[in-house]
Amino acid sequence: MAAESKLAPIRKGLLEFLVLKIVGVKSVYVPDILRQLAGTEFTTQEGTLYPLLSKLRREDLVQYEWKESDAGPPRKYYRLTDTGRAQLAALDDYWNLINRTIANFGN
Amino acid sequence: MQRIATTVRLNRSVLQFDDAAHARLEQYLAESARLLEADPDPQEILADLEQAVADQCTHRLRPEQTVVTLAELEPALEEIGSVQAPGSGPASMAPPREATLRTLQQISQGAVISGVCLGLARYFRLDVTLLRVISVLLLLGTGGAMVLVYLGLMLLLPYAPPEPGGAPIRWLPAKNRAFMEFLRAKLGVDRAGKITA
Repeated sequence: MAAESKLAPIRKGLLEFLVLKIVGVKSVYVPDILRQLAGTEFTTQEGTLYPLLSKLRREDLVQYEWKESDAGPPRKYYRLTDTGRAQLAALDDYWNLINRTIANFGN
Repeated sequence: MQRIATTVRLNRSVLQFDDAAHARLEQYLAESARLLEADPDPQEILADLEQAVADQCTHRLRPEQTVVTLAELEPALEEIGSVQAPGSGPASMAPPREATLRTLQQISQGAVISGVCLGLARYFRLDVTLLRVISVLLLLGTGGAMVLVYLGLMLLLPYAPPEPGGAPIRWLPAKNRAFMEFLRAKLGVDRAGKITA
């Protein structure tokens, strides 16, 4: 599909937005995030997600804390910081605005 | 003859790898480190990746298996994928289509006997309790002949890959699985349920 080469960058750009949305609902660890994305257009692997989460943490959008698990070593649970929450709200608004703009054209 | 295994510390886990798997692991980690050269904080990501590898391999070890081989490591690395720096390179996010391709499998995690009912329930999108009740009724109705059907499915259905964070595998399904894999090896039925001999 020729359009695929144009769709891939869109997905990639939106992945960060989606991860913020998922982390914003409740504190999650990486397999939770992967599970939620699995089967959608945004199916992602750990190799992609860890660098992204590391970047989000450096930008002070997410934070993590260690939680004990009943099976295996402690897990990193990620949650939004206040900055992250503000940015997510801004992204949400912008996304809605863009959607309206797109819908208004070509009709 | 004794197989030499290397003990490797992967972040917070310690695992044993045979020579081939150990070499592949080092290659993967070196490749990841290279891909993260431009990242300001590669140590943290590498630690996370190490943990991911350890978790994925641990989930794939059969009961009583202590040494990770390529048979566990390769699918683990495949699932983790190679490192993608955010916003760089071609988007290799092509969704693994196999995830949506339904296959009939038995699911060890959360199984009572072997996970045949769980697998059928997922395949047909039915409630697992309903299937278990039907199975018991069939067992009684057929005067036990259902046992043969169940055993056949146990022997032939491939096992679903473990889901990280999924239900634990109970004692009986683990024992059954170990026994079936032994039987499969004896009978020449490979993991995918095909007869290879």
